[in-house]
Amino acid sequence: MLYQRYIEIGRVCYIRLGDHAGKTCVVVDMVDQKHLLVDGPETGVPRCVLRLNQVAITDLKITIPRGCKTKKVRVELTKANIPAKFAKTSLAKKAAAKVAKANLGDFERFQVRVAKTLRNRKIRTTVRKMKKSS
Amino acid sequence: KAVVSTQSTGKLRGSIVPGSVVILLAGVHRGKRVVVLKQLPSGLLLVSGPYKINGVPLRRVDQAYVIATSTVVDLPALPEIGDAIFKRKGKPTKNEKEMFIDNTTEEPKISAEKIALQKEVDALVVPAVKKVAMLQSYLKSKFTLSKGVYPHDLKF
Repeated sequence: MLYQRYIEIGRVCYIRLGDHAGKTCVVVDMVDQKHLLVDGPETGVPRCVLRLNQVAITDLKITIPRGCKTKKVRVELTKANIPAKFAKTSLAKKAAAKVAKANLGDFERFQVRVAKTLRNRKIRTTVRKMKKSS
Repeated sequence: KAVVSTQSTGKLRGSIVPGSVVILLAGVHRGKRVVVLKQLPSGLLLVSGPYKINGVPLRRVDQAYVIATSTVVDLPALPEIGDAIFKRKGKPTKNEKEMFIDNTTEEPKISAEKIALQKEVDALVVPAVKKVAMLQSYLKSKFTLSKGVYPHDLKF
């Protein structure tokens, strides 16, 4: 199989671009080849139409009927425990790390720089030692 | 109720409190990270390197020429310092008779009073700085811009 994840009713998607960037939502209906009707009651995404390229597909999926109401979407999301499951995915972790990096203060940035230098120094000396001994 | 008129010190930015670490943007010490001791009655910030750590002495700095960081040092009670010690001493005017007589004594560049005060303040501030891990080396380092670093995007 070429693709593992499909855009389908109930697919949980991560919004990459636009007003609601960084949030997850659920596909509720397809409008046309390039647009989705999307809803994210748990994450603050109102029911709206998004372009396919604004969205990244995740592994998670819930079972909802096509075009169902927001209330039902919310119920199914909490039943499947999607918010917790999404937080465990690497996509969520990477997004969180990016946000954390942007929120670093001046002192924290200095500490990160120092930690990086020490780590790289250790790696280089170990590699040099290994090269010497081999 | 008696109305007492007090001369108000200029408004201090909410992000600057006594003990704040601040980045100097202008002057000889530009780029250096420095500890704010207090706001003087003149409205200027009283700042100290501490001198032992990065060579910035007790100095007055306008808050407009400073980036406030979110780091705050827990400062102990410091001696009273006002604008008076920073007042510049005028050159003594010579009268006609003494115009060609050079009787100026070599005055030291920094008064002994200032040096003593610096030592006294540093003795209180440096231990407070050393309590926080890596803070001393942070104050030693300078703030620099490099490729891809835009101050309007940074959080301080």
